Amino acid sequence: MIKFKINGKKVQGEEGQYVIQVAEKYGITIPTLCHHKALEPAGMCRMCTVELFNGRNTKFVTACNYPIWEGMEINTDTEAVHQGRKLIVEMLYARCPEVPLLKKLAKEYEIETVRFPKQDDDCILCGLCVRMCEKMGNSAISLTGRGVDMKIDTPFGIQSDTCLACGACASVCPTGHITLEKIKNEITKKNPFIIPSEYEMGLKGRKPIYVPYAQAVPNNPAIDRDVCMHFKTGGCQICTEVCQMDAIDHSMEDEIIEIDVGSVILSPGFKPFDPSKFDNYMYSNYPNVMTTMEFERILSASGPTQGHLTRLSDNKEPKKIAWFQCIGSRDTNKCDNSYCSSVCCMYAIKEAMIAKEHQGDDLDCSIFFMDMRTPGKEFERYYQNAKEKHGINFIRSRAHSITEVPDTNDLEVRYVNEKGVIQTEIFDIIVLSVGIEIPDETRKFAEKIGIEITENGFCKTDSFEPVKTSRDGIYVAGAFNGPKDIPESVLDASAAASAAGDSLSKARNTLTKIPESVPEINVTGERPRIGVFVCDCGSNINGVVNCAEITEYARTLPFVEFAQESLYTCSQDTQDKMVEYIKEKNLNRVVVAACTPKTHEPLFQETLTNSGLNKYLFEMTNIRNQNSWVHKNNPDLATEKAKDLVRMAVAKSGLAEPLTEEKINLNEKVVIIGGGIAGMAAAKSLASQGYETHIIEQQNFLGGQALKLYRTAKGEDVQLKLKQLINDVSSMDKIKIHLNTTLKSVDGFVGNFKSKLLKQEKDFEIEHGIAIIATGAKGCETSEYCFGENPKIITSLDLDKMLIKNDPEINNINSAVFIQCVGSRETKRPYCSRVCCTHSIENAIILKTKKPEMDIYILYRDIRTYGEKELLYKKARDIGVIFIRYDVNAKPEVTTKGNEISVKVKDHILDMLLEIKPDIVTLATAIVPNKDEKLANFFKVPINEDNFFVEKHAKLGPAEFATDGVFLCGSCHYPKSLDEAVTQAKASASRALTLLSKKDNLYTSGNVADINPMYCSSCGICVSICPYSAPLFTTEGRFKDKAEINPILCKGCGLCVSSCRSGAIHLKGFDTNQIFAQIYALDKAV
Amino acid sequence: MTKEKRKIVAFLCNWCSYGAADLAGVSRMQYPADIRVIRVPCTGRVSPKFILSAFRQGADGVWVSG
Repeated sequence: MIKFKINGKKVQGEEGQYVIQVAEKYGITIPTLCHHKALEPAGMCRMCTVELFNGRNTKFVTACNYPIWEGMEINTDTEAVHQGRKLIVEMLYARCPEVPLLKKLAKEYEIETVRFPKQDDDCILCGLCVRMCEKMGNSAISLTGRGVDMKIDTPFGIQSDTCLACGACASVCPTGHITLEKIKNEITKKNPFIIPSEYEMGLKGRKPIYVPYAQAVPNNPAIDRDVCMHFKTGGCQICTEVCQMDAIDHSMEDEIIEIDVGSVILSPGFKPFDPSKFDNYMYSNYPNVMTTMEFERILSASGPTQGHLTRLSDNKEPKKIAWFQCIGSRDTNKCDNSYCSSVCCMYAIKEAMIAKEHQGDDLDCSIFFMDMRTPGKEFERYYQNAKEKHGINFIRSRAHSITEVPDTNDLEVRYVNEKGVIQTEIFDIIVLSVGIEIPDETRKFAEKIGIEITENGFCKTDSFEPVKTSRDGIYVAGAFNGPKDIPESVLDASAAASAAGDSLSKARNTLTKIPESVPEINVTGERPRIGVFVCDCGSNINGVVNCAEITEYARTLPFVEFAQESLYTCSQDTQDKMVEYIKEKNLNRVVVAACTPKTHEPLFQETLTNSGLNKYLFEMTNIRNQNSWVHKNNPDLATEKAKDLVRMAVAKSGLAEPLTEEKINLNEKVVIIGGGIAGMAAAKSLASQGYETHIIEQQNFLGGQALKLYRTAKGEDVQLKLKQLINDVSSMDKIKIHLNTTLKSVDGFVGNFKSKLLKQEKDFEIEHGIAIIATGAKGCETSEYCFGENPKIITSLDLDKMLIKNDPEINNINSAVFIQCVGSRETKRPYCSRVCCTHSIENAIILKTKKPEMDIYILYRDIRTYGEKELLYKKARDIGVIFIRYDVNAKPEVTTKGNEISVKVKDHILDMLLEIKPDIVTLATAIVPNKDEKLANFFKVPINEDNFFVEKHAKLGPAEFATDGVFLCGSCHYPKSLDEAVTQAKASASRALTLLSKKDNLYTSGNVADINPMYCSSCGICVSICPYSAPLFTTEGRFKDKAEINPILCKGCGLCVSSCRSGAIHLKGFDTNQIFAQIYALDKAV
Repeated sequence: MTKEKRKIVAFLCNWCSYGAADLAGVSRMQYPADIRVIRVPCTGRVSPKFILSAFRQGADGVWVSG
């Protein structure tokens, strides 16, 4: 260490350091124009001149390249230094009078008139760019010429081959002399470009070292080898110098890692369709034509415009936006994607709704579509709301092309409306709703590993094994298994996990390692001895907040025994040290001031456990996400806030108590209510993983609605495969089937249910840990379209029955009419029944194939053959099935006269009323759930207004209920096709299995409510207010009629605590005294 | 109430608003440093007494969000 003085203050630095480095460490600012931390100093600009006193006399030296030595005295702020700098600024200002930086400096140094002749240069010859270029390992530019002719240039002043257009020179130029434009036109022969951020869809640039996006997992930066200068020239490596943890190693190479596995799950995803090959939409040429993926980023608060909706061409707020549907989907003319991408209709509506939310109701949004496909749960309602309540225009037309209005970048669209009239409209932005596509790499990969794919590149699966590929042991999930949205992908994922687990159940727990446990130290009754750990988070916190000051401050707080600052508190070495400190200083409470407890609390709690402390003796306060990151420009205020936060956390921590986690006893039996295809598929999965499963079926047979189906959309024989499944299920030892059985009552909670059942007037009871609801749905009854008046007017399921029986009557049909949406998508039942379009088309094809001369008409509102089911629609049209669209306000009219049926419908193309005299009319009746309020009450699960069960989370929890230990699958959730029902069944089994497999390690949280019965007045508020039914009145014992809380059901929300009038309830970990302590600790803050 | 001394106490629900405040940080959104967050497991945990007490401690505003 070298000790010396700056401005009279004692400082110390390390051998080899320069004055400016030490000054910076001590917060002393020395102005400079040519200094850069990563580069060797050159002393070019002379702005950093300081006064050096060497014991005998003073002289002027440049701080950036003057090495420190013992005993020297530096003065950075004397009058002489100031005058010297002023002269330098004056000369530089005279040379470059238009450079903003020098204008600012001139003002700072109070230079009003310049005594030297003014020039019009903008380069101060600091040489930063030259040194940077050299550092990059390139040396493409240099200072050339002598004296007044000196300038920055390439050899011979010609555009250089050597320059790689990395832009490092421009990034350090203090005056703006070197710009990207200049690099492009004068310096390099290469084509400079901004590295497009993949996540921002290229709307923004990113650095060669980057974190793909804020929530990326893992959230570590990566180096893009393709653009990093080091990998091109061997130079740079500035990152290794900057990284305080020495985490960067440029010599790392790709490795091939071999892992022995029993199952493989493929989830390679999709890529959005690239519309640049369509010359009619001019995506590549017009800046205001964008894809929906780009528009998502524009709408996002974390996107390139911070969620401010503007056009790319001129940053103007748009007034009119149009979405074009089916770009790269349902199109064999311009691309080969004949399938429907399933998700685009919904996301276009969503984007239009959000755009309106951002911009207000004045924004005009139009969606150009062919068929509006919103067959998902709650989707149809969303569509109708968008249309009726939010005024989004839905235009049934496929616009041919887009032209730009000269000079404005506005976009003109000519299209034919439903009446056949040509319209011209001008939009500010046009968004192309691009479809889902399987990339070539995935197709090649599939070929390589030997799994079959469809002609569109999606994985081939069976309807009864919807996540199993053609190769044993390999499973599939997500968009590779057909275009699908989030909930369906989540279901696929869970289903694939259970399918993969089915074949591995024998190997379960054979590779488990049990960590050593440290016995817990009893700290009850001890005086709090708090340890505070302040995290710098590199420069994330310390760059704004003065962490040393916070640590010092923490030491002054009551009960704090120990406080320490560390560079990264979450790193393994700091964790190890933390364990040592806890033991050495005998700490019994720990506070960490760092990032957010939402991500890091479990890590620190584990450290506490490893040191023998109860994990609830830990408290965390957030001085990064909610402080340093959001108050970047106010370091002083941020430091003050951090002190307040630490003080509050310490106050709370002092009152922390060790908490216990109750072990949850888990009965391993599973009860499945409903013996349809979903119930059976779930049972099969659970039983093959070794769990006893009871199927409760109220009928005297298994199979449910599937017994009525003829073929799946993939053409499989339903009855054949169903019979196999019933046989499988009936022959499995672990599956107990209870036919003719109904549920009478259910008691208990996750892991401990007691269900009373009734079988042929005999009661019996099953104790089980898990329940799966699979009660299904059925076709609704209708009186529309003369149903019931003529035996030739039948439902879709009746037609299936005829087909199953191979009814000879079919051969007598010469003309058949299918009417869609009978009872669906209407005021009374405003949801889409999802499967009917495919079902009718599939049956139409079967009839047409049996008897090609048969006339078949399908009367529909929107054809909703999502995914590859679209191919059926195409096939039907190809073989001559006639599709006639009708409007809900002008439904087809069916009349019967004796044996004769007449169907009148208005054809929208001919604009004429057509009359058809069919031999048979098939009604695609809506699917309605088997509403069971009693069942819902038994398991405390909700039902929506359409009588379907409501899952835990529409997107992320589609096979489970909010009630722990209860799951759902099949059409009781929403109408679904057979393969979708099986997927959800496997998914529900998978979710149940995650619980079951934790059997021995299932504990409640410690943060639960607890009632002191002595204070309880038995008012019952807690019992009635708790959404989880955790409090109940004690029925016996000393505290009979007082409330008590079941910690297994308690979610620790604290609703009962704040509602309790007697103050009898405590929330462990967030107790009233703890929150008050935090509030009182504010005292000094306010 | 001088501008420098303004203090707002925020009771944020752990599951939504507290997460949102974290995300605001991740997105580097900037806002005044007047706020002091108290994390609660649910806004249902917030008793009126907490709010009154915060005011009594001199808070200029109390924000319950969840």
